[in-house]
Amino acid sequence: MNLSLHDKMAVLLGAAVVLPVNGYEVDGLTPQAVVRPGDRHQVAEVLRWASSEGVSVMPRGGGTRMGLGNVAGRADLVLDLGGLDRMVDYQPADMTATVEAGMTLASLQQHLAPGGEFVPLESPLAGRSTVGGVLSVGTGGPLAHAYGLPREWLIGIGVLSPEGVATKAGGTVVKNVTGYDLDKLYTGSMGTLAVIIEASFKLLPVNPEAGALMASFPSVSTAVSAGRKLLHSPVAPMGYHSVTSGVSLRLPNSASLDAGRGEPAPALSLAFYSGRAKATGRRLEESASLLLAQGATAVQRIDGPAVNDLLRWLTDFPAKMSPSSALVMKLSVPSKSVLQASDECGEANLSGQSPEQLADPGFGTIRLIWAKAAGGKGNIGEDSFQETIHGIRQIAQRYGGTAVVEHCPLTVKAQIDVWGDPPDSLAIMQRIKDKFDPNGILNPGRFLGGI
Amino acid sequence: MNFKEFLTRLQDTVGQENVVHHPDDLLVFEYDGSVDRGLPEAVVFPASTQEVSQILTLAHGAGFPVVGRGTGTGLSGGAIAQPGGIQVAFPRMNHILEVDTENRLALVEPGVINLDLDTHVRKSGLRYAPDPSSQRACSLGGNIAENAGGPHCLAYGTTTNHALAMEVVLEDGSVVNLGSLARETVGYDLRGVFTGSEGTFGIATKIAVRLLPVPEAVRTFLGIFPDVGTACTAVSAVIEHGIVPAALEMIDALTIQAVQNVSDAGYPDDAGAVLLIELEGLQEEVVEIGGEVEAALWETGATQVRTAEAADEREQLWAGRKGALGALGSIAPNYFLVDGVVPRTKLAQVLGQVAEVSRKYNIPIANVFHAGDGNLHPCLLFDERQPGALERIVEAGTEVLQVCVDAGGTLTGEHGVGLEKKEQMPLVFSEDDMEAMLSVREAFAPDNHLNPGKIFPDGKSYTPKAHPASPGMTV
Repeated sequence: MNLSLHDKMAVLLGAAVVLPVNGYEVDGLTPQAVVRPGDRHQVAEVLRWASSEGVSVMPRGGGTRMGLGNVAGRADLVLDLGGLDRMVDYQPADMTATVEAGMTLASLQQHLAPGGEFVPLESPLAGRSTVGGVLSVGTGGPLAHAYGLPREWLIGIGVLSPEGVATKAGGTVVKNVTGYDLDKLYTGSMGTLAVIIEASFKLLPVNPEAGALMASFPSVSTAVSAGRKLLHSPVAPMGYHSVTSGVSLRLPNSASLDAGRGEPAPALSLAFYSGRAKATGRRLEESASLLLAQGATAVQRIDGPAVNDLLRWLTDFPAKMSPSSALVMKLSVPSKSVLQASDECGEANLSGQSPEQLADPGFGTIRLIWAKAAGGKGNIGEDSFQETIHGIRQIAQRYGGTAVVEHCPLTVKAQIDVWGDPPDSLAIMQRIKDKFDPNGILNPGRFLGGI
Repeated sequence: MNFKEFLTRLQDTVGQENVVHHPDDLLVFEYDGSVDRGLPEAVVFPASTQEVSQILTLAHGAGFPVVGRGTGTGLSGGAIAQPGGIQVAFPRMNHILEVDTENRLALVEPGVINLDLDTHVRKSGLRYAPDPSSQRACSLGGNIAENAGGPHCLAYGTTTNHALAMEVVLEDGSVVNLGSLARETVGYDLRGVFTGSEGTFGIATKIAVRLLPVPEAVRTFLGIFPDVGTACTAVSAVIEHGIVPAALEMIDALTIQAVQNVSDAGYPDDAGAVLLIELEGLQEEVVEIGGEVEAALWETGATQVRTAEAADEREQLWAGRKGALGALGSIAPNYFLVDGVVPRTKLAQVLGQVAEVSRKYNIPIANVFHAGDGNLHPCLLFDERQPGALERIVEAGTEVLQVCVDAGGTLTGEHGVGLEKKEQMPLVFSEDDMEAMLSVREAFAPDNHLNPGKIFPDGKSYTPKAHPASPGMTV
């Protein structure tokens, strides 16, 4: 008997669950089969089988962040969890919700909207990103200064072990210290420990009023230092981002043009607010004055639905830009250091080009995007990439932070650890991985330090 | 190494004056805030990470289990030594090492008292948000171990949402750093899973916590209600207005009586429940939302509503709530505090069931709790000198926990499992759930040498997973 993995899956689960592999390639690896189970029992069955056969499994949500992480050692079977998309429980008065991991973030927010609530998770491409995927990646978005990371909002989780055994941690109440907080462990673990099946969140009420400011600055430096002043004032925004003109030029309207001059300002800051109408009004007004006093050349106020459009644009921007970029990196540093780090990163050229920047001086992240070389592909040597990546890592290290390579050519990726140098706790991480996944079948090699 | 040699080595490490081992001197280390007891063989007071590391290396080699002890305010037996074990306590490691106002964080040693940190950073316009009721006495190291909560965790989250990084000594004495001062880190969130591990993974020797700005305005509301049922309706009404207050606390009639026994907090004799609500933010916010809160309190049947914005007046409104646990002593010499959590909408129903347990066992139960996040604190009042009293209390307490779990809740919201609730863990978690948890302990502390015998039911130990297939096999 020489059945292919594809055929074996069809026998195990039925042909309808097995999908063509087209479009499921990750980092040049084509899986031998793709399954999209309809419920958690089927997921467990797949895992039990894969575990007993030593077949590697790559869990997948909406597929929006599959390029994140190192090149996997193996990708035998892709486990598409998009079929697990039910709302399990939602009690508006409890301000909690439990959902299956395959539900998209946008769909979850739609379920919560009639209750006047939302879950403060942020992810690019929320219409495709799934709850399980957002948790697995575990990173924040433009409002992370206010909302923190997905870890802050997860109150309970249901997972399947690599052997298909269902376990849970946390619960459905908003405060809970019963047992170890494995919610934190699974969040950000990139699907290397278990397959997330279900998650419970605490929610927030939707604020009645939202507003934003767009402020032009002569440089990213002045934009960031004005932001630091604003963030430390009583009228601090929920998120503040300074972007270079190469980013602001791509705004969906011409709003980025410096007032009157018709030319894009060298830097643009975006500040987001929400709350009760009166307080939001005061925040916007006083913030605008503060930014002008701190060197903004023009400040424009944005109201109504345009605020959310702008926020979505900013949230999606790095993901949308990645495919057409040569290199995308994200630095995380203590917030004070964003100013100096951003200055230094501006000097970090790739083949003569300085990076476009999206700096968040509140939460402490800087996203750096280097465009592809003019005139087509393959113009930038691998050594140049290595050099630039190394340079950025040194900057991150100097300020006590990290620098993750989010996008680069496959040939470069194959030679580096995209997560950077491992911390001294790597040995504990490796032991955890070994206990949870002794056969190393879940996403082998994609995580930090070869995990 | 026998114990005598071990003791000498400990004394050599930290100095004779920093090792307590005479049975009389050890008595104060026998208990914490819970009802459990356990005499340690010795208590050691290190002054540095290096000393903690040396102590743990010694203890590991000699086979004496170690429990880290903050200030012993814990309410689940987390700091109690198991037979043959020693305690490491931190009165000498109580320094605020750094307050970084630009990055809004503080670096502290584990023995720093929660309120001391808050008071210290308020001079810079900052605050440390988690505020356990024991904040005058409890230490940051203990807060990390238990993932401590407090009234203001409703809006700001518990300790885990504020702990950024820690330096940790593992059971074999090795030192490792978890987390980072940057908000996003790479790799598994080890500081997240360490926080709340009840001293079983390691001992934190340096802790970096996030600080928040002091809000422009704070307004406190006190509502008097005829009974807890109507007060619970008020809680729902506030939440339904889309309001998440900074704190939302309740005390019931028996607690009010105890508070009034001790000193006049201004509560009427016939008050059935007191609700405390605190709003923080811009002046405009506390005024606008405050108006809605006040209206909601009246509409749901408050007989009195008081508000205050000045710090000293707010303090007066809080006095009864903050003194509540201590005041219970005026009714009975001992209390057994159950820390169950339920969904907010089940509060009234569960409080009714708790009252039934009180009648069934003929045990007075006083309720003082974090209503906003559904974290109950039924206090079962008793006199431990009466024969069999403690056993009945524990039985009744277990029944209260069962009520919480049946309502969709859990065993503990902020106090930890410790010794007290470890046998109830199966009410919430399956064997497989606990196995997954134990495999993390196995990664941090494979010899289970730190605070053994806590959290998991007796006899529950880690079983390694089988390796059913050889890795690397392809199909």
